[in-house]
Amino acid sequence: MEPSVETHNLTVIYDKKPAIWNIDFTLPTGKIIGIMGPNGSGKSTLLKAIMGIIEPNIGYSKVFDKELDDVRTRVSYVPQRQSVDWDFPASVWDVVAMGRFATKGLFKRLSKEDNDIITESLAKVNMTPFTNRQISQLSGGQQQRVFLARALAQNADLYLMDEPFVGVDAATEQAIINLLKSMRDAGKTLLVVHHDLHTAQDYFEHMVLLNSRLVAEGPTDEVFTQEILTETYGGTLTTLSKVASALKEKDFPMRHK
Amino acid sequence: MNFFTEIASFFTFSEPNVKVVFWGSLILCSISGLVGTFTLLRKRSLIGDVISHSVLPGIALAFIIGQQKNPLYLIIGATVTGWISTYLVDYITKHSKIKNDTAIALILSVFFGVGVLLLTHIQHSGNASQSGLDQFIFGRASAMNMSDVWLFTIVGSIITLLVVVFFRGLSLLSFDESYSQSIGFPNELLKLVLSITTVVTVAMGVQAVGVVLMSALLITPAACAKFWTNKIIPMAILAVVLSGVSGVLGSAISYTYNGMPTGPWIVVVISLFAFISAFIGSKHGLLKKYIQRAKNNTKILRENTIKLFFNPDTLGETTFQFEDIFEKSNMQRGTLKKGLKLLKSDDLITLDNGTYTTTEEGINEAKAIVRKHRLWELYISRFMHLQPDHVHDDAEGIEHVITPEIEKELEKELDFPTKDPHDSDIPY
Repeated sequence: MEPSVETHNLTVIYDKKPAIWNIDFTLPTGKIIGIMGPNGSGKSTLLKAIMGIIEPNIGYSKVFDKELDDVRTRVSYVPQRQSVDWDFPASVWDVVAMGRFATKGLFKRLSKEDNDIITESLAKVNMTPFTNRQISQLSGGQQQRVFLARALAQNADLYLMDEPFVGVDAATEQAIINLLKSMRDAGKTLLVVHHDLHTAQDYFEHMVLLNSRLVAEGPTDEVFTQEILTETYGGTLTTLSKVASALKEKDFPMRHK
Repeated sequence: MNFFTEIASFFTFSEPNVKVVFWGSLILCSISGLVGTFTLLRKRSLIGDVISHSVLPGIALAFIIGQQKNPLYLIIGATVTGWISTYLVDYITKHSKIKNDTAIALILSVFFGVGVLLLTHIQHSGNASQSGLDQFIFGRASAMNMSDVWLFTIVGSIITLLVVVFFRGLSLLSFDESYSQSIGFPNELLKLVLSITTVVTVAMGVQAVGVVLMSALLITPAACAKFWTNKIIPMAILAVVLSGVSGVLGSAISYTYNGMPTGPWIVVVISLFAFISAFIGSKHGLLKKYIQRAKNNTKILRENTIKLFFNPDTLGETTFQFEDIFEKSNMQRGTLKKGLKLLKSDDLITLDNGTYTTTEEGINEAKAIVRKHRLWELYISRFMHLQPDHVHDDAEGIEHVITPEIEKELEKELDFPTKDPHDSDIPY
């Protein structure tokens, strides 16, 4: 089976310190995969680096065994809900329509078929009654569902989701996980940043455990162990963070020719 | 001639130069309304201020090099330094510990300072053609000539075309930059389009409004428009119209009263629009808020007054003399009278020979408000774990906002209770 995402020594440096360091893994397709780790462990950074939103300083990543640019229409990214200003002058429909821009590009008009896809995506997240609603009037859970509908409208094969469960009510969380499962059943791959350990085991079949470095990656029943969790959440490695600080303070390059 | 006839005479175009001023300010202001929409939506309002102050040294340098007031040279000079200033602000923010607001203050004052310095130098150089250069500080629409207007028309058309062609990309960039990048939109190109159009617009606009007030012309029209609509295309169109109208009116006033700078007048007009928009703008207007508040106060007074007629023993008809109710209430005499008047006009009570009597409807209303009060008391005593003597004040406020739907939910959640926390009956 072709891998969904693979990364090779992926390293992103913020302010001279590595935010993610030598991340190296190959993920399967057709699974709901959780990216877990404590605050500031580089979960979002990892997604952004895979999506090319942040240029990695060292290493590279591939999607479906190809360069991202060659398979971009097969990949959809769902940013954190709080990363945008919901007071923007747009309706629910307008936001979901953005999902079609992925194939339509900057200039092509949306066709009847595009409109049907948008309608369908809204129905899948139960937002049809809110189609013409101003986005500033939505609750947190509704905002998240609009973002998911936008991603659905892309008709992608791989979905990268940044914290889709943050700030949503329990009912919405359940609705979202059901949606993810039905997407998985349709053969899609879902890479989901999450931080609630209680639900992780139920939600994900495969996991990436991160703490700036890769702690573990594999099927949930293999990696979701007390030992690995302690290693992930039990604080940073003292020596590793000392080296990182030394890099920053003395302005050393991480790699040199 | 009074003020209005003088302004009206501007629009008859009786003087040939009036046409120039009219078209010049219309074009400049309309474009800045269009470009400013994105400046506002991208939360880059302060960048507009940086650019407008930073075009001054460019204008002065262009004059020193060209030794004449050629509008094309001046715009190019202005664009160059305006561009450098935004680049520097972004660079400093990204690559140093200095925060964005500090970088803005720093670059703005340094560039403006250098601009004033160069301008002073030119004024002392004795070059005759320099006269009028200082008008860039506050703007002077009447100093424009026909060749300026042609230049504005051409450059303005290019800017408009760019914004219209890239409208989809620019909107998405303003709303969600990472998503735009993730679907492969050329974010860098889009940002370039925005900054070029903004810098060039400002470089031209300073002719009419001057460097000090240019950023107001960029931001205020879009801010006004946002009060009226929640869709981006109508917002952009409205911003263009509002700023075009204020441009023309402002220049008309300044032209008629010769010697008055144009910029402040344009800004006065657009600020007036802003004030009106904030007050009555459809979506978020203050007027709407006042009306809502007045409605709420009436509702509260009405419900508080009918509550006084609640008879806990019989749950039926009650009669009162005014003084009796007044004693029972803790309202002002006048307020209570107003409340009683409200009830009477709604036929909840009747007044006969100084005796107030509740009607059937009035009894039901009184029961309803007491029911909501006690349901809420019970609800918070249970779910907020409050002692029974701590729930009354909260319920006094909340009883007025409980809708029939919420009331049903409360009943269900509390399993149709009959007693409130003080062991009083909940009337149904």
